[in-house]
Amino acid sequence: MNDKPKIGVFICKCGQKIDPFIDLSAMKVTVSKTDDVTCCEVLPYPCLEPGMTEIIKSIKEKEVNRLVVAGCESRLMLKKFEKRLESEGLKKGQIDVVNLRGHVAAVSDLSPKEKAEKGARLVNASIAEMRALHPSIQQNVHIEHPPMILGGGVASFTAAQELARKGIECYLSIPETDPDIILQQLYQKYLGERSNYPRLKKIIEDVLKNDRVTILPETEIVSLSGITGDYSAALTVPGELNRKRYQVGTIIACLDGELTAPGPEFGYDGKTVLCQTDLENIIYNAVIPSGQTVFWINDYETGQEEYARLSTRSAWTMSRHILENSKKSQVIILYNQKMSLPLTASERSLSRKLGIIWVPYDKAVQPVIQLGFVSFGGVNDHLEHEIPWDRIVLSPIRKIGGNSMQTAKILGIIHEESEFLGVHHAKVRPEMVGREESYLAGSARYSCDLNEALNQGKQAGKKNAEMYQKSAENTLFAPRVVCIVDTTKCVGCGQCQEICDCGGIGIAEGLGGGIPRVVDPMVCTGGGTCAAACPYQALTLQNNTNDQREARVGELAKQLKNNEFVAFACSWAGLPAADNAGNRGLNYNPDIHIIGIPCVGQIDPSVMARAFVDGAPGLLLVGCDPENCHHSFGVDHAWSRVNILKKLFTLCGFDRRRITMAHADLNHPEDFVKTVESFSKMLKALGPIEKTPDNQKKLESIYKLVKTNSRVRLLLSSGLRRPWEATYRGDQRYALEYDRSDFMDALKEELLKVRLEGIFREESRPFDLDEIISKVVDDQNRIINQLSELVAEGAIERTYKQGKPFYLSAN
Amino acid sequence: MITFNINDTEVQAEPGWTVLETARQYEIEIPTLCYHEAVSSSGACRLCMVELKDGSWSKLVASCIYPVAEGINVYTETERVKNVRRWVFEMLLAQCPASGEIKQLAAKHGVESTRFSIKDPDEECMVCGLCTRACEEIVGLSAISMVDRGVHKKIGAPFSRPTEVCVACGCCVTICPTGAMRSRIDAVRGIPKITLTPLAV
Ligand code: SF4
Ligand code: SF4
Ligand code: SF4
Ligand code: SF4
Ligand code: FES
Repeated sequence: MNDKPKIGVFICKCGQKIDPFIDLSAMKVTVSKTDDVTCCEVLPYPCLEPGMTEIIKSIKEKEVNRLVVAGCESRLMLKKFEKRLESEGLKKGQIDVVNLRGHVAAVSDLSPKEKAEKGARLVNASIAEMRALHPSIQQNVHIEHPPMILGGGVASFTAAQELARKGIECYLSIPETDPDIILQQLYQKYLGERSNYPRLKKIIEDVLKNDRVTILPETEIVSLSGITGDYSAALTVPGELNRKRYQVGTIIACLDGELTAPGPEFGYDGKTVLCQTDLENIIYNAVIPSGQTVFWINDYETGQEEYARLSTRSAWTMSRHILENSKKSQVIILYNQKMSLPLTASERSLSRKLGIIWVPYDKAVQPVIQLGFVSFGGVNDHLEHEIPWDRIVLSPIRKIGGNSMQTAKILGIIHEESEFLGVHHAKVRPEMVGREESYLAGSARYSCDLNEALNQGKQAGKKNAEMYQKSAENTLFAPRVVCIVDTTKCVGCGQCQEICDCGGIGIAEGLGGGIPRVVDPMVCTGGGTCAAACPYQALTLQNNTNDQREARVGELAKQLKNNEFVAFACSWAGLPAADNAGNRGLNYNPDIHIIGIPCVGQIDPSVMARAFVDGAPGLLLVGCDPENCHHSFGVDHAWSRVNILKKLFTLCGFDRRRITMAHADLNHPEDFVKTVESFSKMLKALGPIEKTPDNQKKLESIYKLVKTNSRVRLLLSSGLRRPWEATYRGDQRYALEYDRSDFMDALKEELLKVRLEGIFREESRPFDLDEIISKVVDDQNRIINQLSELVAEGAIERTYKQGKPFYLSAN
Repeated sequence: MITFNINDTEVQAEPGWTVLETARQYEIEIPTLCYHEAVSSSGACRLCMVELKDGSWSKLVASCIYPVAEGINVYTETERVKNVRRWVFEMLLAQCPASGEIKQLAAKHGVESTRFSIKDPDEECMVCGLCTRACEEIVGLSAISMVDRGVHKKIGAPFSRPTEVCVACGCCVTICPTGAMRSRIDAVRGIPKITLTPLAV
């Protein structure tokens, strides 16, 4: 698979859409001369069957093993080429589509000759990337161990039932195995569900006696490591201090949220002013409250208005239960006028028949509970009314709860600090991710009723079963572009795990000392910010490596003239905006040369620096708006990386605006045009970076620093947190403060060191201090300090001639 | 190898190619709308009609889905073909009068007004289904569908609220030939990335 690259280039005429605008024969001549290009053809439509036939011929006859199509939008067309050519041996990653039509032909007034040159530059850059590609085989994932259901939530039982039904054996870790006790305690989690108890009890009993389910009673998870298919879960052993380890294939976390009573500010006293949970408990013990019960649906007032409907549903079922069992009781339900009643027509008529009184109140006047009365504002008359009560019942406060939170932490499924566990839903194409991050079911995700929770459990079981089935059929594959860790380089610093938002990075059991990280290929979405962050370059994004991107940007930069510049555009915002601008024939400055990438968060600072080393006068990175980044925080991380380059530019005397971030929206190509115009104009005013040996050395030092200096890379990756976030789920440093303090000094120091090393690497003669100072232009004391450090490290030697120190390379 | 004629010129094709693909290979232009290279053809818009002649017998076929066959005689610019095109454009001008793209293309073919009655002067969508095909075949999702089958079908998410399914890739916007998807995408894509939705679909 790793044979020498033989690259086929197919240039599309696209009817009349590319051909007359670009001199394709000139382009063909240029591209044909590029190294490793085995064949280069201009075709009417490479993407249609006749064109595909030609491409397949070139694969068969000329052994083409990399393909570059210069045509239109890769976002639309790549998939077709991949599907059609897979059976011919060309795999994903071995095909690239350059948008000649939308990025070159349609968007400027350049002459066909000039456009041919621009097109050739873009294609040559793509060729360079193809040359640097080491295609890797798609990983076939096998799940040997059984799934484990844990967390103790009620959804556990439907999940286990579903797995068993599909013939899959599983572990079920639960704190309690007596169905009656489970039901009795349920009032703390789900309300007004009495009518569902018999059904639930049956499910529980069914699961408890099912042979396919191995029950681990009274256990709790304490740690989890490993990846999909091969986890090691440590569980408590009842009555012992020991832990027991289980090898498991997948995890289903069934976590219930917690319901608690509102505070005394709502008059809660647990005696006559109750919470719905208290009432549920009373009813469970078969006591029917007499007298006048007033439910106050106070979720709007507790700040949880999204759950008002849920509380209303439980108030309704409890009221129904009360009135169906006691003729003497009365029920009034008091609710905020903002809410529409969640009752069906037949429920409404039943409610009337039972005599339940529904009273809306003025949203502007919060009801007040006094002894024996509750007052509220009338909706129509704005008078204050009063209702007498024997018992007030308030809505519960809903949140994750301590136990579920603890389990979620162990499983690493907490994404942001909120009342509930948001399910991470990566907005990427399905082919980009192997499976949902976690199979999570129950009201800890968001408050829900019992039915919904049970249904979630069933769905989780079903999805799991599908994975096992695929694994058994050998058809469970990880996506092609995922991260892998080189365990020989990884020191276990944990930075990657901290910033990976997909939850794809876990810990591999180490041999003591550093614990190397592992990436779960079934969870990784291929965003790659972890690879760009790793201080030791232990992470690589398969089929989309840093080397590939460096090769591409470098090749492009080398061919640029005057103020022409490179732009990285992410495939969710910048690239589609550019594609759509092309589609609509919008005009913009042709200096821009666009490279599409999956996420700006995967652009390593070394790739940015490489553009400048190879001659680009400017670099633009066009990503999503921060809140819309499809790889969560990729665009924020890119911002920090751009920022470090800006700092280094300032230190070296280059204009820091040469590298700039921009944000786009796919539906607003006209804004993208403005972005391009503004950046081109600014760059034009700056002019190219003067090509002096000194400038070149500075740029190379920057490149070397950000690529190989672990201290700088570590500092960078530990400050990737967003400046406006007060709390962060990991240990990331607070960005702004960090920026002001340690970071800049360290940067100055390390840059100086790299530059000094450069001097000694270049010439092996001795230098005196004055000459060194003239070469690096920096603070004298700092230079002397750094030189002493280098001497101490043994990198250079110090000698004295007539009492004056001279420095020279140690080898 | 299959040999046949397009506009009296002999052309060659492989079995499985369509008439449209072969014509394009020979750089003979046939206008299309509901056709896009990236997805399967549906033959919905009928703009790509060509005439097949055999002696005195002739018929119109949609070239984007019509497979090549030995010895057929295809004509792309006959009176009948031009009539159909004019008719299709007039239909479209009535169906999606608000689409600038359609107006332009129609004008290019000499059609500037329509005999048909306009139902909704703000309509841009021609119901070609390219967006749904793109979502299914390219992205691998079904985030959008034709709500209401038939002539009233509209492109939107079920209940016209942002779907969790859509990944906001914009393929539908890029592929849409009328520009209609531009005003619809916001209703489909939504914003949240960490969301609270049921697992059950
Ligand atoms: S950032 Fe790199 S060195 Fe640190 S744990 Fe991750 S892979 Fe290992
Ligand atoms: S940070 Fe991105 S690339 Fe790295 S493991 Fe997570 S999803 Fe995969
Ligand atoms: S933007 Fe949404 S609806 Fe459109 S193709 Fe992409 S996933 Fe489908
Ligand atoms: S929105 Fe566009 S692509 Fe979709 S059916 Fe309408 S016209 Fe066709
Ligand atoms: S392009 Fe053939 S029917 Fe629309």
